[in-house]
Amino acid sequence: MEKHYWRSLAECENRGELAAAAEPEFAESPAREIEAGPSRRGFLKAAGFALAGGALAGCSRAPGEKAIPYAAQPEGLVAGRAQYYASTCGACTAGCGLLAKVRDGRPIKLEGNREQAISRGATCAAGQASILGLYDSYRLKQPLAGGKPATWEGVDRAVLEKMERIRAGGGAVRYLSETVTSPAKQAAIDRFLAQFRDARHVMYDAVSASAILDAHERTHGARVLPHYRFERADVIAAFDADFLGTWISPVEFARDYAARRMPPNMSWHVQFEGRLSLTGSKADRRIRTAPGEIAGRLAQLAAFIESNGAGGDDLAARLLQARGRSLVVCGVNDLDAQLWTNYINHLLGNYGATLDIERASLQRRGSDRDLADLLAELKQGQVAALFIDAVNPVADLPGVAGLDRIGLFVSFAGSVDETAERAHYICPDHHYLESWADAEPVAGLVSLTQPAIRPLGSTRAAIETLAAWSGHPAKAYDLIREYWKDRFDWDRALEAGFAEVPRTHAAAPRWIGRKPAPPAAATPGYAVDVYAAVGMPGGRHAYNPFLHELPDPITKTTWDNCALLSPAAAASLGVGDGDILRIEAGAAIEVPLLVQPGQHDQVVSVALGYGRKASERFANLGPRWINHKPTINANGRVGANAAPLLAFEHGLLRYQRGGAVVAKTGRRIELALTQTHHTLSVPKHLAPAGGEVRPIVREIAPAELGKPEHAETHEELWPDDHPYNGHRWGMAVDLNACNGCSACVIACQVENNTPVVGKDEVRRRREMHWIRIDRYYSGPPEDVRVAHQPMMCQQCDHAPCETVCPTLATVHSDEGLNQQIYNRCVGTRYCANNCPYKARRFNWFDYPREDRLANLLLNPDVTVRSRGVMEKCTFCVQRIQEAKIEARRNGAPVRDGEIHTACEQACPAGAIVFGDLNDPSSRVSRLAHDARQYRVLDELNVRPSVHYLKIVRDEKQQGEKHHG
Amino acid sequence: MAEVCSPLRPALIAGDKKPAGVTEDICRALLRPPSALWWGGFSVAFSLLLAGVAAVSYQIATGVGTWGLNTTVGWAFDITNFVFWVGIGHAGTLISAILFLFRQKWRTSVNRSAEAMTLFAVMCAGIFPIIHTGRPWLAYWLFPYPNFRGPLWINFRSPLAWDCFAISTYFLISAMFWYIGLIPDLATIRDRLQPGLRQRVFAILSFGWNGSYRVWQHYEVLYLLLAGLATPLVISVHTIVSWDFATAVIPGWHATIFPPYFVAGAIFSGIAMVLTLMIVARKAMGLEDYITHRHVDAMCKLLLLTSGIVALAYATEFFTAFYSGNTYEQFVFLNRARGPFAWAYWTMVGCNVFVPQLLWFRSVRRRLAIVFVLCILINVGMWFERFVIIVTSLHRDFLPSNWAGYQPTIVEVATLLGSFGLFFTCFLVFCRVLPVIAMGEVKAVLRHGKSHGEQA
Repeated sequence: MEKHYWRSLAECENRGELAAAAEPEFAESPAREIEAGPSRRGFLKAAGFALAGGALAGCSRAPGEKAIPYAAQPEGLVAGRAQYYASTCGACTAGCGLLAKVRDGRPIKLEGNREQAISRGATCAAGQASILGLYDSYRLKQPLAGGKPATWEGVDRAVLEKMERIRAGGGAVRYLSETVTSPAKQAAIDRFLAQFRDARHVMYDAVSASAILDAHERTHGARVLPHYRFERADVIAAFDADFLGTWISPVEFARDYAARRMPPNMSWHVQFEGRLSLTGSKADRRIRTAPGEIAGRLAQLAAFIESNGAGGDDLAARLLQARGRSLVVCGVNDLDAQLWTNYINHLLGNYGATLDIERASLQRRGSDRDLADLLAELKQGQVAALFIDAVNPVADLPGVAGLDRIGLFVSFAGSVDETAERAHYICPDHHYLESWADAEPVAGLVSLTQPAIRPLGSTRAAIETLAAWSGHPAKAYDLIREYWKDRFDWDRALEAGFAEVPRTHAAAPRWIGRKPAPPAAATPGYAVDVYAAVGMPGGRHAYNPFLHELPDPITKTTWDNCALLSPAAAASLGVGDGDILRIEAGAAIEVPLLVQPGQHDQVVSVALGYGRKASERFANLGPRWINHKPTINANGRVGANAAPLLAFEHGLLRYQRGGAVVAKTGRRIELALTQTHHTLSVPKHLAPAGGEVRPIVREIAPAELGKPEHAETHEELWPDDHPYNGHRWGMAVDLNACNGCSACVIACQVENNTPVVGKDEVRRRREMHWIRIDRYYSGPPEDVRVAHQPMMCQQCDHAPCETVCPTLATVHSDEGLNQQIYNRCVGTRYCANNCPYKARRFNWFDYPREDRLANLLLNPDVTVRSRGVMEKCTFCVQRIQEAKIEARRNGAPVRDGEIHTACEQACPAGAIVFGDLNDPSSRVSRLAHDARQYRVLDELNVRPSVHYLKIVRDEKQQGEKHHG
Repeated sequence: MAEVCSPLRPALIAGDKKPAGVTEDICRALLRPPSALWWGGFSVAFSLLLAGVAAVSYQIATGVGTWGLNTTVGWAFDITNFVFWVGIGHAGTLISAILFLFRQKWRTSVNRSAEAMTLFAVMCAGIFPIIHTGRPWLAYWLFPYPNFRGPLWINFRSPLAWDCFAISTYFLISAMFWYIGLIPDLATIRDRLQPGLRQRVFAILSFGWNGSYRVWQHYEVLYLLLAGLATPLVISVHTIVSWDFATAVIPGWHATIFPPYFVAGAIFSGIAMVLTLMIVARKAMGLEDYITHRHVDAMCKLLLLTSGIVALAYATEFFTAFYSGNTYEQFVFLNRARGPFAWAYWTMVGCNVFVPQLLWFRSVRRRLAIVFVLCILINVGMWFERFVIIVTSLHRDFLPSNWAGYQPTIVEVATLLGSFGLFFTCFLVFCRVLPVIAMGEVKAVLRHGKSHGEQA
């Protein structure tokens, strides 16, 4: 008998049942095991598989996306390499030549066209920012009829039908546009209007220069705007003309001006103005002058000049010494003042020398008289059809009425603005980067615009719309080529971006003027002064968050326009920064106060272009959290519209008027300022002896030029652990050239994907710009001197940030760069605390990037930083790398001037120079050894790679000069 | 060990206790249900803790931007709280280690709770370096752990990396020291408990302690060694914390005086916190016989001494700035005393220099209510000291364009309160579950059973 072993009493007693379960201990088939449910082994296997699978799946961070290559590679296109299309900037009518950088089919950056005469490679802040308009998700994607989406065929049919009726009835047809610099478009408008018996093209400029044109009509018999040549002027007297900031063609003027401000042979510049403008901030002498006194001042100056300098006026003497090499400009839209300006320029023989009226400027052609007539017609309901192109009169102008009584009201606006929302039809024009266009900013210079991308929506060029409505439908390209046929080599011009054409005028207009009548006395009381801000040169940019967040170069405000009052005026009203004031001059507006040193005591200035409908979109801008405050004001918009303060006077739109009443409302808002301490002197009660003023910005008189400062040299305690055998990147910033225009700030923002953070974050001093322009005042508040100092990461050789980072997220490159490694950064902010320049920026939040369309602007060469990491200026390392790769491919070294950082590239004044400090012949090396060179906080021995050049200012009266 | 308990000196423990009485006194508090007072304190502390947890969760979910910091002032409440709590911890180590080595017998009544306080304070402190980072989930990158990123190490030159070592070492040593000291008492409790879960837990925690001569001997040696190990930490930890500032280039931070200044300040604030807790615990738990006026008196004198050192440091800072001829440095100190944060500076000086001068008077030292208020004020002052050092130095540094203000947000305030919540919650739980007074050590200093005549 088989022996039976039992394992338990139960088994022993109940053998039959349990035996069945116990016996087949190893005999089970794998299949049965699975059927039997999870076993330990099975579980482990499954768990192991799941774990490995999970781990593998977890390794891929982003979901895989299909990338479809080109079926047919476009000619000359290499994926990942940028292409540049020569074009023309459409941000204003100045007509700067551009190169639009296109990566993978989308424009991502605008750079000035070095060859084109207006730009010469530079741009302004608004021009840099205007690329964002291409990706503006609020732009219309199709025409609207009665506010509803429509088709082009439908709109064309309806408009033509109504036009037919107007033509039959002989009704008045008016075409209202800004200055048309495009000859082809002008021709199209003329052709279009020729269909009607009573048709008129009215042009106006939101910032009008009508008085200059009108004055020249009187003095020269031709309604021309002179082409001002600042590079030829040894002595410049500017009367309320902010030619470096916003006046007519600021990029061109800033560049020409800077060219003559290179020590030692510097031009001499005096500025008369009521508001401290960018231009005034650079002047050798600045004289506070109320707008009402300008004409009087000019008349007085004319008298001194007529008497050949008798009376001992320093300015007159200097001007007389520089006959034919001097320039008097006046920005006041007042005929008297402009007539006196012309008279003085005539007396000094400046026409034909520093003012070119032979090849005149076409950048401002608007006529305020025509505009006033049109507004009167509108008011009386005499207009049958109104076509509005690229202007927004409802928001730009005071007293626009009667729009409801127009039979046919068509707008070409790209998005629904205050005027377009009242139009019967909106026929959206392309963004300029989508269009074919031409421009003739200065007689004889034709600048071409070519599309850098196919239109994103179903928009149509206004010129095509006009052609379609003139009975000859044509493509914009054909219209422009047809217009310029045989005038220049099209292909070459397209490649260069511009062409010179033979001048059209037979001879320059001659002086036919007389000595003007003595100007009227100024009105007593406050004068209101409505001005164009550098960051918001007109309401058309009100959609642009880059520009709203750009600190005004003088006031340092963002996301608001303010009433500027002098410290004395503010004190007499008992108000301070942020108090909301009510300004009454005909109409009334309410704006917060900003106390502005250098402001005339009787002038209150307000920037135009704010309070626009386009800014309503910023209601939800910025990171959202419990203490978040909205970017918009109580009116639902950014800032307040100053247009109601404007008025027509003798057929001119007056931006400055006397008799304003300023009163406090008792309400207050907190302004979003990026700088709250405005001088280099420390507060008096905190000033240690000898430390009252900090030598951060250095200024010298011309007499001190060429005397290098005795520099203390110290023995190095530590070995040089960075030999810099190859390149050693450095920068030089000429503070004398820098005028604070802030083009660099926006250029950097676009290039480096810097987020816009919103008003509340700026108010908390958390703006993200990698380059900022520090503005310091000196001298008494009524007669301030201004210094602009671009400040970015100084790329120190002994960088304090590098030693303190615990995770090695910021390290030194062998070419002298402080590299920030975003994905290694945990965000302790120790580096930023230890940075003496506070050049580092921290991502306090995940800044919303929800606008998918706007995200197309992002530069693929630059990482988009996430929350919690530190970032800062990299010296545009992506550009350095690109140039180095290119150089290696070509087997040649990187040449000086081959790499331009974004800030350097945009700078109209040429104030920023980047290059290799190891190359003794490089521009930056030479500047680093200039007698004016100094380094900020050199005494800390952090060895910054950014060299600054001192400001030179000639403040002395000429008589004093001899005493030295 | 020679007994130094002279009959001429007053007894360290009042009430002529017998060893059994000590055990009875201490364990009684543990074995009875918590009082209404305890529940009240606990609910307040726990509510604060929850508020802090909510604030920190919100901040981690949303971003450091929920604090009032800005580009110029990159640290404020976060590092202030960190340094404050590290400082609080120092008194515990001082009392348990240094006073042990110096054979200060009076420490036996307070060392257990002082050590617990150290532990909890270091826990509170440790939170801030983690949550102050922009990406706290990656804060472990501050430690040099083996990795496949190159391998990529940390920056050994960064004081923040040194902090990581200092704080983690400090926490580990303090925890070990505290726990080793607890073992005999855990065994005592184990022996007094009814069989059940609680007893099993205490049995495990007491590592099979049997109270034998050999065990006691090992214990004493280990305790002495750990005391020796912990002693340098009293100096080193806050020295290293002070290097966070001292090695920076920012005027007001860049000062060689910082290490001793910080250590003295730490002990100053720590003793004040110990006293605060002791005065409450004494009353609430009926420990008047163990924590006597003599203890309070001794600690008040320590406060007076450290206050003097701190005052000297404040004066030296001003003198150094003046004497250096560095105008940036001079400005920082003028700005501290007369600038926008002058109120914080004078709060600090008032609480840390002027208020403690009252302790010169014996009558003040004997009035526990006054001592209690003084200690609270000293802690306020010491918190402000760190705030002043951090914020006033940063908010106006070299370039005037960067000058900015600082205002805390509600999230920051809640985080600060939350750290107090954590501290007091831990302390209250500690009072309930563990003996607040080292029974084993207290028994050693009783007069009971000692023949006075045997004294050498």
